[in-house]
Amino acid sequence: MGELLSVRGLGRRYGTHPALAGVDLQLRRGEVLGLLGPNGAGKSTCLQILSGNLAPSSGEVQVLGLDLIRSPCPAKRHIGYLPERPPLYSDMRVDEYLVYCARLRGIPRRRRAEAVERAKARCGLADAGTRPIVKLSKGYRQRLGLAQAIVHTPDLVILDEPTDGLDPVQIRVVRELIRGLAADCGLILSSHILSEVQAVCSRVLILRDGRVLHQARLDRDAQTPNGRYLVRLERAPQLRALGALPEVAAAESLAADRFRISLHPGGSPSSLAKRILESGWGLMELTPDRTDLERIFFDILGGVSGGGESGSGEPDSAEQEGGELGWA
Amino acid sequence: MIFAIARREWQASFLTAQAWTLLAASQLILAWIFLRVLEGFSGLQVAQRKVGITLELSVNLFSFTAVLVLLAVPLLSMRMLSGEFREGTFNLLGSAPVRLTEILLGKFLGLAALVIVMGLVPLEICLWLGLGTDLDLGLLAAATLGVWLSGLMFAAVGLFASCLTTHPGLAAVASYGILVLMSVINRTGGVWSGGATLFDWLAWNEHLFWFLQGVVRMSDLLYFLLFTLFFLALAHRWLANRRLG
Repeated sequence: MGELLSVRGLGRRYGTHPALAGVDLQLRRGEVLGLLGPNGAGKSTCLQILSGNLAPSSGEVQVLGLDLIRSPCPAKRHIGYLPERPPLYSDMRVDEYLVYCARLRGIPRRRRAEAVERAKARCGLADAGTRPIVKLSKGYRQRLGLAQAIVHTPDLVILDEPTDGLDPVQIRVVRELIRGLAADCGLILSSHILSEVQAVCSRVLILRDGRVLHQARLDRDAQTPNGRYLVRLERAPQLRALGALPEVAAAESLAADRFRISLHPGGSPSSLAKRILESGWGLMELTPDRTDLERIFFDILGGVSGGGESGSGEPDSAEQEGGELGWA
Repeated sequence: MIFAIARREWQASFLTAQAWTLLAASQLILAWIFLRVLEGFSGLQVAQRKVGITLELSVNLFSFTAVLVLLAVPLLSMRMLSGEFREGTFNLLGSAPVRLTEILLGKFLGLAALVIVMGLVPLEICLWLGLGTDLDLGLLAAATLGVWLSGLMFAAVGLFASCLTTHPGLAAVASYGILVLMSVINRTGGVWSGGATLFDWLAWNEHLFWFLQGVVRMSDLLYFLLFTLFFLALAHRWLANRRLG
């Protein structure tokens, strides 16, 4: 299957300030790509360009092979966009608004009502058609923002911080919506909430100062891809004694009773547990040290800020491609 | 797509009290002027009447309508683009498969429809008088056309001002600034006597005057058309530059 979205060398300058520089990314149908980064990293700028709201200073964007810069209208027919603030007209009712959006997206009159009903049903707005937008709660406003983004069943859905400001129940609803959408199309969402990206994304791209620092797949099936475990012991031995166990390749002390242990290839957590029990150290906890996003995020961004803003801000080519991050 | 946006603007104007209030106030003020003109005209002896009632109404009623439209249009147009920027709803239009030209023309048509309705108010008042006396309908048609064309130019200025800023209030001030300048630019007081003809030509009221006299001149039509297109083109350029940053 061809690529849904192909971005090459995307750059954007505001005066002399580069908000985005040399961003490359690809997206296929069924994938959910998360843009992560601190505030001001260039996430929203990137999404605004991908939605056709902003022209890039350099680079090219192709949606299903259509050039978004040179022929924006045909490309935009395949894009649905939910900005950070849902673009709602508070003087309209839900149905009126969605019909207007459907009209803007070029849905023929005979299919408009059906498209609106489908979008409402998917976003849990089936009973809210006659409600004035001004009276909707934040959660419902977000759902309506999502409904307008999908009313024309786009191939590419772009969501800018879709759960920002929502309560936990609303966050769960929106996440379910996003997961449901991912079955039919490709999704790009930005967030500065790591758990958000972990919860819904299949791939992650970390931005900082407009540059891609890291791109990797979030593999839900891989439990401990690098064989690392966290252990807590009742009677903690010397670090050297722990490191001397035959299964252990390396041991690192995190606290007086907590250690991070890397196993040799072929070493299993069960044999490690057995060995610890036999040694009489009192195993209290043994958990996979998930190579989770949070650690990677702070490793990368911490490394950058620690090493200087410009010099170490360059992306590491080895890191950029093919990193496989497992998480349970 | 142009009509979808125009319809949305038209509906938005009437969903709030703004358009209704403006139309009601226009009707009230113009009815008052109408009565004053009628009273003045009927108080004169036949020999004292230098012009007919239609011309009296055209010069007084329709010229004041143009001033009312000038005052109303910046208020109606100020939110059309700056409000969309401010509320973030322009992102909806920006990500839809709609060209900037279509967005702008849709907004312009929505505003033009309101201007046309406002321009019909003095005509409607005059037609009531037509039940009791003979009126020069050609003159009224020319005056109405003049008010419409002035209003369309004001609308283009209003839209241009609206895309300059994210603050609707500032947009209204900018509109008033441009329109007042175009109203008084011919009052140079002989300072630049050499350029008086150019300044006279630049003032919109000089062109409206001929329509109110019942004279439809190609040069006046071109003036309004030219400036309407000029401000729409400026607005388009501004919106395009906004995308480019």
